[in-house]
Amino acid sequence: MTADPEAKLARAKDRLYVLCQVAGWGGLLGIQLFFERLSERQRMDGLHDASVITMVVLLGWLLSHYARPLVTRWGWKQLGWTALVPRVLGASIVLSLLWTLIGFGYIYWVVCEAWTSKFSPLFAMSLTAINGIVTFVAWFCLYFVYHTFERLRQMQVERLHLAASVKEAELRALKSQVNPHFLFNSLNSLRALIDEDAPRARESVTRLANMLRYSLQSGQLETVAFEEELRIVEDYLALEQIRHENRLRVRWELAQEGDLRHVPVPPMLLQTLVENAVKYGISPRREGGEIAISARVEGAALHLRVTNPGDLTGPANASAARAGSSTGVGLRNASDRLKLLFGDHATLTLLAEPAGCVTADVYIPLNSPAR
Amino acid sequence: MKALIVDDERLARNELRRLLAVHPDIEIVGEAVDVEDALEKVAALKPGLILLDVQMPGADGFSLLERLEPPLPAVIFTTAYDEFAVKAFEFNALDYLLKPVDPNRLVAALEKLRTREAAAPAADGSTGPALRLALEDKVFVREGDRCWFVPVKNIRLLESEGNYTRLYFDDQKPQLFRSLTAMEERLDPRNFFRANRKQVINLTWVEGIEPWFSGGLLVKLKGGPKVELSRRQAQDFRERMSL
Repeated sequence: MTADPEAKLARAKDRLYVLCQVAGWGGLLGIQLFFERLSERQRMDGLHDASVITMVVLLGWLLSHYARPLVTRWGWKQLGWTALVPRVLGASIVLSLLWTLIGFGYIYWVVCEAWTSKFSPLFAMSLTAINGIVTFVAWFCLYFVYHTFERLRQMQVERLHLAASVKEAELRALKSQVNPHFLFNSLNSLRALIDEDAPRARESVTRLANMLRYSLQSGQLETVAFEEELRIVEDYLALEQIRHENRLRVRWELAQEGDLRHVPVPPMLLQTLVENAVKYGISPRREGGEIAISARVEGAALHLRVTNPGDLTGPANASAARAGSSTGVGLRNASDRLKLLFGDHATLTLLAEPAGCVTADVYIPLNSPAR
Repeated sequence: MKALIVDDERLARNELRRLLAVHPDIEIVGEAVDVEDALEKVAALKPGLILLDVQMPGADGFSLLERLEPPLPAVIFTTAYDEFAVKAFEFNALDYLLKPVDPNRLVAALEKLRTREAAAPAADGSTGPALRLALEDKVFVREGDRCWFVPVKNIRLLESEGNYTRLYFDDQKPQLFRSLTAMEERLDPRNFFRANRKQVINLTWVEGIEPWFSGGLLVKLKGGPKVELSRRQAQDFRERMSL
């Protein structure tokens, strides 16, 4: 009925389990009946013997069937060989004893069958119990061999998934390096600036070259000194200011601590935050706005904060959504990279405050060596 | 030809001005910084050509086309890098220039424009907005990521959906941000007929006519839906068709 592949797989597994049970216990029953025929003991009529054997085998089946959920509940499928072997032996002994006691009890106490064997009841029961132990050990072996293979297969699938997601992350990282929209718009402004303000055009070419070089090289680095990142952000903002002119205003709040300059940070992190701030806070607004960038040491962490006008309910208009066909990709990338580098010690949060603004907060541990 | 430059960046506008300086037949009559500004300037200056930036604060270049009263002036889009927009243009064979603009591409775009103008000397800015749309005039429609410049003659059927009108053409039926009544006023009554309260049909697309309940008619359109005409409308229709 359901198209859910997980459910389908679970149903297929259930079917396989039932099939194996029927085949296994059915086979055992067949063999027992066959040998019963061969042995020409003929104590009683054949039908009576066959029904007793069938009952005993069915009892074994039931016992194994009810053992299965216990195996799952006790988490035996996750155990290693050394832990599993004594448990399987123990379980087989318990099950076999149950099997023997219930079987003998039913036949000789409830049905009150006459004891005709030449062996003593205790000896016959021990023999049966040992037989049962062998049977249940075999049952468990088959069960766990199947599950071992199953686990191997699952691990392979998981490894493939992992490889795919790592590749995707790498691709995304590469993609986020140079924003083509920014690049071509800057080049266009530069072209116009050449006639209008040649010295500024020359300066801008240098800034653009810095940015491109940095974004190409920093892909190989895990961290850079904060001052390096800062220089690139300054270059970036200077280039954006050529395009947006007085629509883009920037307020810097950098703590004057000397050690701030050498704090290792992931490359393109602050840059991504600032680029996002321009994309969502300045570009969609006719009147533009102010971006505030602050950096200071708080306890054992570097705290970066970028604030821009806007709200979190979504891009201010459809065109922003189009331009950022990558809506949120930049930030998600940055967040992923932080997690990779610092685990849970670094955080990136986006808040719709103060009123009418969006604030991105990043905390990076100062002393934790990268990875 | 009178041209209007629409771009939010002063430097980008200057750059276009400089590039157009070598084309004396293009007279830049104004500049606009966003869609609102452009709407006013188009109304006041009636340009025959708009050089239109896609990415602008507030609303994008496409929404200007949506809000302009047809017939639309010729449009050349400019964009820095926008996969979506470029796709839309290719879909419609609209012309677009990538920034920074290659002067040779600009020459080619203007050349295309001139030959088109020579072929159909219709929609120059001099035509008043109250004028009816000719069959060759185009209407701009956008739905999601796709946009169309639809020649009026290709529209088989217009269907009212509240403040919107659904246009049926080719195998598309996007919504236009205009009421059916407003659209009907702009259409030539020689070609378009109000079939009922909700639908206007293009008479050139009528394929067959069948009698329908209580003196009404059922009109079949080529490659499109069937449209019911009430008795009163059917009477009008018969008179029109017999003329």
